[in-house]
Amino acid sequence: MNTLIIELRKEKRTGVIPLLLSVGVLGAAYVFVNFSVRKDTLLNLPLDPMDVLLTQLYGMIMVLNMFGIVIAACMVYNMEFKGTAIKKMYMLPISIPKMYLCKFLILTVLLLIAIVLQNLALLKIGISDLPTGTFEMDTLLIFTAYSFITSMPTLSFMVLVSSRSPNMWVLLGIGVAGFLSGMALASSNVSLLLVHPFVIMLKPAVAMNAQPDIEIVIISMAETFLFLGMGLWMAKKLRYE
Amino acid sequence: MDYIITTEQLTKKYKNFISVNKVSIHIQKGSIYGFLGPNGAGKSTTMKMLLGLTSPTSGSFMVDGGHFPDDRISILKKIGSFIESPFFYANLTGRENLDIIRKILELPENAVNDALELVGLAEFGNQLAKKYSLGMKQRLGLAGALLGRPPILILDEPTNGLDPSGIHEIRNLIKSLPSLYDCTVLISSHMLSEIELIADDIGILNHGRLLFEGSLDELRQNAVQAGFAADNKSNSANLEDMFLSMINKDNTARKQRVRL
Repeated sequence: MNTLIIELRKEKRTGVIPLLLSVGVLGAAYVFVNFSVRKDTLLNLPLDPMDVLLTQLYGMIMVLNMFGIVIAACMVYNMEFKGTAIKKMYMLPISIPKMYLCKFLILTVLLLIAIVLQNLALLKIGISDLPTGTFEMDTLLIFTAYSFITSMPTLSFMVLVSSRSPNMWVLLGIGVAGFLSGMALASSNVSLLLVHPFVIMLKPAVAMNAQPDIEIVIISMAETFLFLGMGLWMAKKLRYE
Repeated sequence: MDYIITTEQLTKKYKNFISVNKVSIHIQKGSIYGFLGPNGAGKSTTMKMLLGLTSPTSGSFMVDGGHFPDDRISILKKIGSFIESPFFYANLTGRENLDIIRKILELPENAVNDALELVGLAEFGNQLAKKYSLGMKQRLGLAGALLGRPPILILDEPTNGLDPSGIHEIRNLIKSLPSLYDCTVLISSHMLSEIELIADDIGILNHGRLLFEGSLDELRQNAVQAGFAADNKSNSANLEDMFLSMINKDNTARKQRVRL
């Protein structure tokens, strides 16, 4: 708990917390604006109204979340490398893996808050704008969990790489490359491509229905824990010399 | 002898370069140990190994009866350190930086003010650390090392970047620490004139090898016996000459070994 409080104090003036909260607010605002402008077009699509609500608006939300994750992950370790504060941490009686875990948890909670804000907007639209009797709360909750779970491999991967690279431009480059390659590969049905964390995050955005794919859920969770485990191991074993 | 830090054949190799070569030092509890050597002699690397920042290639060391990595947390609780340059969070003020360290060390809140006052940074505590001058950053780094008045201090060239009055002030502070709260200080420098003003014992490193370990008096006797330069000027001039002669002799021998 002490390590978590310390990590939260370190975040002061870094902009990580406002950034991910802004992503949530911007995503919610996009949902409202988009649906109010394209309401008739969207509801006339040959899709179930819940599928329209959840899949047709998710593309932009996902892009916002992805860039939010990439930038926040860069910032969360950049403050350690700027002024080489990370070296001081290695000289203090603090567990470096715990520090890593706390950074991971802070970003995870912030992403969850952002996703909840975005889905609250979807909830509002679902209740007030979908045809009567077509809004399904269970489907919304399941899709919220699905979009969160599929975003986690990207977050876990970005925290891992940002913990190892002091150069923020390299990290941003990795994030942009991940996004572009993910965009190019997301429509493919080749299961092997699911090892790419950005492809996983894009999967709900290219799907035509809001039903979670169990294979993607399992792979998402496996990748999240794999990258987290690698990050914790590296934090324990590797030094910044 | 009651040693608080000992190293045994401590070695650090980087590919084809040996940074620290079988160094065995012995630091007495409550003393100031001066670690002396030219740039690149291996002083910082040795100190980094003592703090667990880098792992030794071979050899071992003990800090107050504990070993790395098993006793890492308990060892680091006893050590205040300042290595190479001050490390700080650029997004935080000086006070907030020290408060992070205070929270890690689980110290009372007044420890931050105490450390800021010790290094003369109290009035600048609320400024962002990134806006500090080099001397102020140096003082902040020292405050971080002194926070909670740890029983062991490892200071790597702590007066770098300070103005002459700052050097004098920090030197006096370091000199007073063992009597102030019974701590042991390991301090490095490449200037013998600085070390001899504060140190009880001295270790001279060159190209990773320990050339001498003992008290300043022993260094003088040793140098005279070995035929190093010793004139009738002040003691400090003699010691500087002795140190330089020692380094030059070792460098010459090293070059001969390389040729062979």
